[in-house]
Amino acid sequence: MRSDYTKFTMEEMMAVAAAREIEDGEKVIIGTGLPLLGAFLAQKTHAPNMIAIYESGGIDCKPIATPLSVADSVLVPGSAMQGGLMEGLGIVHAGELDLGFLGGAQIDKYGNLNTHVIGDYRKPKVRFAGSGGANDIGTGCKRTIVMMLHQKQRFPEKVDFVSTPGYFGGGKEREKYGFYGNGPSVVISTLGILRFDPETKEMYLASYHPGATVAQVKENTGWDLKVASDVYETERPAPELIRILREECDPTGLFLKKQ
Amino acid sequence: MKKSKVISAKEAVSGFISDGMTVGIGGFFHSPSYSITHEIIRQKKAHLTICQPSFNEHADQMIGAGCVDRIISSYVWMEVFGPLYCFRRAMEKEIPHKIEMEDYTNFAVMARYLAGSLGVPYIPINSMKGSDMMKYRAWLGEKKAIQMKDPFGSGQEHVLVPALKPDVGYFHCQRADEEGNSQMWGIWGDMPWSMRACKEVIVSCEEIITREQIGRDPNRTIVPGYKVVAVVHAPFGAHPKHCQGYYDVDRDFIFKYIRESATEDGWKRYMDEWVYGVADRDEYLKNYVDTFGMKKFLGLKAKDMMSTSVNYGF
Repeated sequence: MRSDYTKFTMEEMMAVAAAREIEDGEKVIIGTGLPLLGAFLAQKTHAPNMIAIYESGGIDCKPIATPLSVADSVLVPGSAMQGGLMEGLGIVHAGELDLGFLGGAQIDKYGNLNTHVIGDYRKPKVRFAGSGGANDIGTGCKRTIVMMLHQKQRFPEKVDFVSTPGYFGGGKEREKYGFYGNGPSVVISTLGILRFDPETKEMYLASYHPGATVAQVKENTGWDLKVASDVYETERPAPELIRILREECDPTGLFLKKQ
Repeated sequence: MKKSKVISAKEAVSGFISDGMTVGIGGFFHSPSYSITHEIIRQKKAHLTICQPSFNEHADQMIGAGCVDRIISSYVWMEVFGPLYCFRRAMEKEIPHKIEMEDYTNFAVMARYLAGSLGVPYIPINSMKGSDMMKYRAWLGEKKAIQMKDPFGSGQEHVLVPALKPDVGYFHCQRADEEGNSQMWGIWGDMPWSMRACKEVIVSCEEIITREQIGRDPNRTIVPGYKVVAVVHAPFGAHPKHCQGYYDVDRDFIFKYIRESATEDGWKRYMDEWVYGVADRDEYLKNYVDTFGMKKFLGLKAKDMMSTSVNYGF
């Protein structure tokens, strides 16, 4: 399977979809896992001038091996600058970055993200990590890409806790906060690609991944998800992209499990 | 030469960390001081308020051991490695006892340290606005964060966060001299702001070097000696985490901790072997080599990637 580049997994589809969202020359703050692979892929293909920034204070990192953590030692040699959190997140906070990646336990209809709790904050059923740098990235970066496991409980109509605001209740509500960041531009889920209506800021299905269906996406979403009138199947990754992803971005199978 | 501050981890913790203190812990995934953290646990310090922008397993072990009452942070987890179960048990089930957390963002904790280090009472930030972190507060109540209109007329509202000045701080770095002048490279994490904000600082380090060597590369000094009350020589003192230029992260050992701490019994067994059952860092390392072998241990050692030197001449 791993040497057959015409076949791909859902993780690989998501990493390719993430790469497609990155434009050349952008300053991008990168997390771990699929966002990291998506950013690597973009840099190795259409966005060679992308500047990779890590929360841990590395700027223009060019790691020679795949980092497992945002503070991996492998990020340091070869980077243009290395500092700490003040350097990595200070520039995010100042609104200087184009793009950041987010994820979470829940995302709602208006792109609000929850990384804190399931249930009541004071007596949580499940307690998660907390914000980390996510709220800083979501409020500071010009736009964000959210990557999510697509399950009904992870896509509720309203999140249990707003860790990183998306568009609040929709419409122009976000604008009144005066953030540098304009909010999430896309949600790349395990089932499809979702975007936000420019007026209402409600999430809608733009495309479904190969192997998924519109009905399946709707079934796994906690509200009556709107579907674009021109909804289509997400463009399949070219075999060459899958090759680069497996052989160059994650050769040891750190994130893409070897089949 | 000034008086040496070099003492053992045991002496540093018993001498400078007391029950009920607010403790700033340095590091961001890279180079947390396990030598000091494990000593705090062995000495059964209690009712601590621990502060760090992002916490990993070191906090989890302190929470499980009952050392912690309060947390000031944005994150308690271990990234893609997995959840921290003592933290979850404490927050979800009050095991071993109830703890409180003031949830901030990673940058907001840095901003609190920055204010603390500069001697100003608060600092305005852009983050947190409109989030539920503004709505829910623990023991700090209104004093957790206040939203206020910019008095300089931008028309924007900002979140003011109060200065954070821990009673004591500790961190791990590559090298320090006997006076406590500490040099760190690679990922600084919350340094230098966290340690500058602390009233007193304990440093653990891979190597103790001379004051003359410090002076040959003073730009690399991250905490000046006058802030430091104790210097602890602790080779591999950040293991299982990494220390740039000395050793890499021990992924297997972190996965082992997460796997075993999933149950209370598993966690206790782990702690009995790796923390309570060893007297100090040397015994810990001996146990590591005995258990996993010298080859595995030496495999963690960093390869050489030397920097070019610069001319400090005038």
